[in-house]
Amino acid sequence: MSIGGLVSYHWNVNVFGKVALRGRRWRAELRGNRSRRSSDLAPPLRITPRTKELIFSHYLQGRYANLRRKVAWVTSGAPVEFLRALDFFVLYPENHAAVCGTTRVAEEICGEAEKAGYSRDICSYARTDIGSVLSGRTPAGRLPRPDLLVACTNICQTVLFWYQVLADRLKVPLILIDTPFIYSEAQEHAIEYVRRQLEESVPVAEQVAKQSLDERRLRDVTRHSRDAVELWMQILDRAVHRPAPISAFDQFIHMAPVVEMRGEAYTVDFYSRMLKEVDDRVAGGVGAVRNEKKRLLWDNLPIWYRLRYLAELLGRRGVALIASTYTNAWGELAPMIDPERPFESAARTYLHPILNRGTGHKLATMKRLAERYGIDGVILHSDRSCKPYSIGQVDQCARLARECGLPSLLLEADHSDPRAFSEEQAANRLGAYLELLGV
Amino acid sequence: MSTPNDAVSIPRRAEVIREFKGRGGRVAAVLPIHYPRALFRAFDILPVEVWGPPKIDASSAATHLQPYICSIARNALAFVLGGGLDVADLIIVPHTCDSLQGLASVLIDFITPARPVYPIYLPRGNRPSDLTFLASELRSLSNRLEQLTAYTPSETRLMECIEQEEAADRWLADLHQRRTELPLSQYDLYRVLRSREFLPADRLCALAETIIARAGGYPRRDDIPVLMSGIVPEPMEMLRSLEKMGGRVASDDFACCGRRLYPAGRSSEPFVRMAESIIQGPPDPMRGCSIQDRLAHLARLAGTSGARGVVFYTIKFCEPELFQLPALRTGLQEIGVRTLNLEVDLSDPLSQSALTRLEAFLEMIG
Ligand code: SF4
Ligand code: SF4
Repeated sequence: MSIGGLVSYHWNVNVFGKVALRGRRWRAELRGNRSRRSSDLAPPLRITPRTKELIFSHYLQGRYANLRRKVAWVTSGAPVEFLRALDFFVLYPENHAAVCGTTRVAEEICGEAEKAGYSRDICSYARTDIGSVLSGRTPAGRLPRPDLLVACTNICQTVLFWYQVLADRLKVPLILIDTPFIYSEAQEHAIEYVRRQLEESVPVAEQVAKQSLDERRLRDVTRHSRDAVELWMQILDRAVHRPAPISAFDQFIHMAPVVEMRGEAYTVDFYSRMLKEVDDRVAGGVGAVRNEKKRLLWDNLPIWYRLRYLAELLGRRGVALIASTYTNAWGELAPMIDPERPFESAARTYLHPILNRGTGHKLATMKRLAERYGIDGVILHSDRSCKPYSIGQVDQCARLARECGLPSLLLEADHSDPRAFSEEQAANRLGAYLELLGV
Repeated sequence: MSTPNDAVSIPRRAEVIREFKGRGGRVAAVLPIHYPRALFRAFDILPVEVWGPPKIDASSAATHLQPYICSIARNALAFVLGGGLDVADLIIVPHTCDSLQGLASVLIDFITPARPVYPIYLPRGNRPSDLTFLASELRSLSNRLEQLTAYTPSETRLMECIEQEEAADRWLADLHQRRTELPLSQYDLYRVLRSREFLPADRLCALAETIIARAGGYPRRDDIPVLMSGIVPEPMEMLRSLEKMGGRVASDDFACCGRRLYPAGRSSEPFVRMAESIIQGPPDPMRGCSIQDRLAHLARLAGTSGARGVVFYTIKFCEPELFQLPALRTGLQEIGVRTLNLEVDLSDPLSQSALTRLEAFLEMIG
């Protein structure tokens, strides 16, 4: 890291970038809620400019990160706390791919991977990331080159294959945290296995970081993680109110910090503010959908490139999508995080995400959420790209209807690749479904 | 030129099962890929593998699985639903990939077949922690088998079974290595190699011994040697077509064959020994091998077998294979080995266009 590099980083990120992003947020806050959002929906949350500031700032830091810090690319479910404690800049290629999906450049970037021989049958997040690595294309300007890769199989096996491609192309070390899938209950030898891998990862990461892990710092980071995750869960839980103050669409947008900035004090601060705003909405009786008639649950990843379309289509009919298994997954493990026992608790926590558990557990989670939030129906996004999340949905869909009387719809799409989404077909299926719901 | 084709007598899978059950044994239907054969044999359970099966009407699987799930998983499910596995006393689903993970979960949680379904988790590395975990996972499976059978095999019995399976693995490796000397067509060669999927170890050893005794004395083949890589050579008629076109499988990296040429474990502790054997098997993406290890392995196989090209025989929607494919093809091409990718679906016959591409490839490398 040269002095010139440090100066450049400081100027671009801490001075110019910070001022520019803050100015942009202030302007947005002053402008207030004059968004193009439909009159059927509440205006975007006031916190939105701050969310954008956080995300832009994160990618801005990323842009210059190689000048100042070591960079780790990690999978979304990976134990990140020890990396933050070692001062890595942490980038989540899945989040970046979601940004590409939302900004509708994923298809083109996937095309770069497909040109290089990567099949359209593999996950579109992976194709987006590989396409971005091959072509350098990104809506974020530039992504930092990783010094370390960390793949945790607690969301899928796909991430391991994907990160092996990255390790092979970028010639960087890959840490694997393998998390045995839980069909019913986690076995002790599986927990011990994950704990041991976590401990074995530390010297590898320390060597890359060129510094030793400070246990006190690790406990602090773990505490920040837990606090952010707990706040996130409280925010989601406010959807028990009628009308629900925030929608699953809002959750999809505002979940980025809990995923990619977990472990930072400013993330805790951000969610404290967000919770306060959501509570203001509850107190004022403001619903995410102005005329809430029905409440739905969403299963699986969002369809990033059609968030607004779906929000408006449902909102017009007074339908509020108020909870999702996906956003819930980022909060439900909070009670397992123990800052005083960072490795032991991480082994348990990172073994238990919904995607690392059986199809019956996911059905039970959906039933629990349906009960808690007074849900009237469920939309299960059958995501062509995400086989581990999608397998089981055919049965889950039928059982939600049969065992809970919840009208349920299996909606075919892909979270990032719009070529797997037919707007006409989706509109027809949703139209018929909403009729069934009586709206 | 085709090889002498003395039809080889391989017992039929159904007969083997009937005989085994007839004398009081149990049968485990096992899905791909890696599992501890010896452990089952110690409980007097015969593992019989289910790779698909091919060419069945898999439409019933749509009641549980989406169409973008691979045909190995879909066909296996249709087979279960159609009663094809009713003969089995238990179903074993190794955690091979996201699709089999999901299939096992759907079976356990929703379909609940009359026989128990036991998953096995396979670690994705070959670090000491992976070995320790796998040995514990096998112990845990052993406990379940004890509950099922109300029988506890002694350590001596377990070691006997391990040694028997290691002997069968050695015979199998011999068959692979001496394939050009064997008086078998490509189709029959693979029937023999794949009989490991259901034959007890002693019968496999006897069969291999008979065939190897007839090895040699056949004219050196001048057909075009290729290395085949993929999950399973199904539909098997592909091998007949390959031979007709003047091609021959000089060596393979099929998940059902070459990727399971396990070396013997070394430990005197039976569970560790079984785990060692699986973990030290040839590179396989489903066990987490790196792209470079796999590439080096394929290059070595191509070199030692004299293969002039590599045919990747990929099952549609099989992510573990699809991810490594571009780097493997590029890497092989860089060392002068040409490659072809054929994508298949187990439910369909091999398409004319796939056959034409195969023929064109053979012409190109021939
Ligand atoms: S397969 Fe699913 S869980 Fe895995 S990376 Fe893709 S979207 Fe994420
Ligand atoms: S073909 Fe591939 S995706 Fe299908 S079960 Fe086998 S390894 Fe899994």
